Amino acid sequence: MEASRGVDEESLSRKALAGDRSAWDALVARHHRRVVVSLLARGVRVDRAHELAQETWARLIQQQQRGLLTELRLPNLALTQAAFLAADDARRVRRESISGAVEELPERQHPVDPAVSAERRLLSEEQLSRAHAALAQVSPSARSVFLLACDGQELPHAEVAAKVGLSVQRVRQILCEVRKKLRTALEEETHA
Amino acid sequence: MLKPHLTRDSAEQYILGALAPEKAAALEAHTLECEPCAVLLQEEALLSEQLTEAASTFPREERVVRPLVWHARRAGTGAAIAALAAAASLTLVLLTGDKATHPSVPDTLDVRPPTVALELDEVDSPTKSNVVACPDLATQDFCTRKAAERGLLVMNPWGTAEVPRYEARTGLPEGALSARQPVSL
Repeated sequence: MEASRGVDEESLSRKALAGDRSAWDALVARHHRRVVVSLLARGVRVDRAHELAQETWARLIQQQQRGLLTELRLPNLALTQAAFLAADDARRVRRESISGAVEELPERQHPVDPAVSAERRLLSEEQLSRAHAALAQVSPSARSVFLLACDGQELPHAEVAAKVGLSVQRVRQILCEVRKKLRTALEEETHA
Repeated sequence: MLKPHLTRDSAEQYILGALAPEKAAALEAHTLECEPCAVLLQEEALLSEQLTEAASTFPREERVVRPLVWHARRAGTGAAIAALAAAASLTLVLLTGDKATHPSVPDTLDVRPPTVALELDEVDSPTKSNVVACPDLATQDFCTRKAAERGLLVMNPWGTAEVPRYEARTGLPEGALSARQPVSL
C-alpha cells in the first residue's frame, strides 16, 4: 500500500532527521542500491560507485548531525548528492591527470562529463510516451508489479511479492519481462 | 581473462539485486577488468534509471487493478439482481393469477423495483452517482485518498463505502466523475 509505505518512509525520515541511527540504517538499506545504479548509469566504475554511494550517505548523516538538513526526501536527495560527488570525482581525476593527457588514461577512468551524462539519462517526451504505451499494453497484474517495484520508492521485491500475492521469483520474472518490452520500445524509438 | 563475460540477463539480475552476493561480487570484479562488460552493465543501469523515470511518470489513474474478488462481487451482485427480478416476476404472475376472475379492474402493483445500491444519507444524495472502486489492495490507500480529494465515494471490495471529505462551501469539486457504474481512478 503506497500510503502506508509513504507514512513509513516519512516516519523513518523524521526519525533520521532527529538523529536516530537505526532509522538511517533502514533508509540506507532501502535506497543504497538505487544510488549505486544511478552512479553506474553515469559511467562510474562499479568499485568507485560503491565508494561514492558510501560517501553519499556519510555526507548526508554529517549534514544531519550539523543541523543542515531540514528535510529528508529520499532517494532524490541521495541521488543528487551522489551525482555531485561523481562530478567532483571527475574534476579531481581531471586535475590529477593534468601532467599527462586524459586520453592516456584507461577508457573507464576517463572523467565523466556530467552534462553529457545527464542528457543521455533523460528520456525525451517521445520516449516517455512510447514507454508508457508499451507499459499500457502489458497485463494489468504485470504492470502493477512493475509500478510497485520501479516507481522510485525502492520497494523491496519481497514486499512487492507480499502485496500482490506472488513469489519473489515470479515478481522478478515479471520485472524482467516488462523490462524487455520497455527496452524494445525505447530502442525502437532510438533507432527510428 | 578466465571469468565468464556478462550476459544481458546476468547484468539485469545484478541491477535488480537478484544475484547472490558471491555472484554479484564476481560480476563486479569482472567488469573492472573487462571493458565491454562494464559498458553492458552501464547500459543496464541506464535502462533501469530510464524505466524508473517511466514508471514514476506513468499516469496513476491507470494504476487501479481489479482483482478477481471484485469481479466475483460484481457477478454476485448481478446474480442477486436476477434473483430479485425473478421473484418480482413470480409475485406479479401470482397476483394477476388471483385476480383473474376480475379482469375488468386494472391492477396496480405496489411493489418497489428491486434495487441494489449503496445506502446513502439524504444529505449525500448529490454524490450518489459518484462512486469509485478501489478494489486493489496495493493501490487502495492511494485510490481512497485521491477519491476523497475529488469528493467521490469509495467502494471497497467488501462493499463498504466511505464518505470522503466534502466541502459544502465549494460543492462538488471540479472533475468529479459522474458515473452510474464504479469507475477506476
